[in-house]
Amino acid sequence: MINTLAQIDYLASAGRTPWHRASALSKLLLALGLVLLAVFAPSLRLLFGLYAVAWLLALTSRLPWRLTLAASCYPIAFALLFLLARWDGTVETPARLLLRPLTASLTAVWLVGTTPYPDLFAPLSRVLPRSVGDGLFLTYRAFFELVVRIGGLWRALRLRGGTSGPARRRLTQAGEGFGTLVLYGFERSQRLYATLLLRGHGGRICGCRHYADWSRFDLLVAGAGLVVAAGAALMWRMP
Amino acid sequence: MSHLHIPDGVLPVVVWGPGLLVALLLLVASARSLRGVTRQRVAYQGALGALVLAVMAVEVPLGPLEYHLALLGPVGVLLGAAATFQVAFVASAILALVGHGGLTVVGLNALVLGAGGALARPVYKLLARRFPAAGSMAGGTAVAQAVSGALWLAVVALGVRAGHPGAARLGLFAGVAFPMWIVGILVESAVAFGIARFVVRVRPDLLPAALPAGGSS
Repeated sequence: MINTLAQIDYLASAGRTPWHRASALSKLLLALGLVLLAVFAPSLRLLFGLYAVAWLLALTSRLPWRLTLAASCYPIAFALLFLLARWDGTVETPARLLLRPLTASLTAVWLVGTTPYPDLFAPLSRVLPRSVGDGLFLTYRAFFELVVRIGGLWRALRLRGGTSGPARRRLTQAGEGFGTLVLYGFERSQRLYATLLLRGHGGRICGCRHYADWSRFDLLVAGAGLVVAAGAALMWRMP
Repeated sequence: MSHLHIPDGVLPVVVWGPGLLVALLLLVASARSLRGVTRQRVAYQGALGALVLAVMAVEVPLGPLEYHLALLGPVGVLLGAAATFQVAFVASAILALVGHGGLTVVGLNALVLGAGGALARPVYKLLARRFPAAGSMAGGTAVAQAVSGALWLAVVALGVRAGHPGAARLGLFAGVAFPMWIVGILVESAVAFGIARFVVRVRPDLLPAALPAGGSS
């Protein structure tokens, strides 16, 4: 998951396709529409169509297909549990149970793979309570730093024999290692607070203000939205 | 197991809709209760949220199994109920944006994770009156994990039944999920024990004080 997320994060900032240049707000609305359609669509043909549209979006954004597949197939494990519990001998039920989460996760991957996180979190932080909105930025920023530290911690545990012996001892030792990260998190928060004060922090992390800067590339997003809406209206009642 | 995030489209709207509404209401309530906290505290909350996300991505080898931690219990003890719920929501939202867990079920995922985490501190405070910090943290985490796991099972069972009452094989599902639930409680408690053992040695002030004898919350 770590490598996948890091690569998607990089592609979101480095990509130069029209999807990358469209505003975050228009892509957010298109993604939300696609996810809601996938969740509520009764027609299997429509679900196949939506999944195809999601792939088309991802591939025309030049997201590597292997990376996209790896990131978007996570729901399969969970969907399989439901598939077992709801098995009725038909093809339609498993197809629906798989296509819905796969379309939604692929759409989410397209959104994150074409939108840098400050642009993506900025509109969300405006509708969420202040501490939660700030939490989105601060958590995401700290994540990659902590992942590197956890990697180092894991290596140190292995080299010092922390991964051998009874499970209880190994887990407790791993816990002590995570304790160092708790402490690091606390010290990091003190440094970050000091930095924010020095930079004239006004009490809220707003992210960039370009998330709603409309450009001609948003016409492409609007066009895709219209095509999806028209297709959904046509196929809604199909089997 | 409680952080095996529920994806979009497998639960009926009668399950995830109210879950999203309740989560948003709790989010507003938690923001109101945290109105007076310092910016440094919000940054600390963000750092622990990142720790939760990071450990979810790390595989802990347990014989033939590979377990993914959540650490919501220790985070619950360190931050308290309101902040822990916000951490759970933020973690679920970020994961949903990368296809791990659903966007429509962010509320439910946050409720499942946050409910357990929110109980960790009261249980810790209660236990800390009689036991050392490490044992109390392990106890608080065990309760947190048990509640989160049970809620996860309840949500999934409700989803399976609400969608297809006739075809549901809940027995099979429970047979797979119950051992995972027990493993989750044991693993998270052992790790929490280690975290508290370290924190109590170097920064005991980060841990909350025990309830005074006869105290109520």
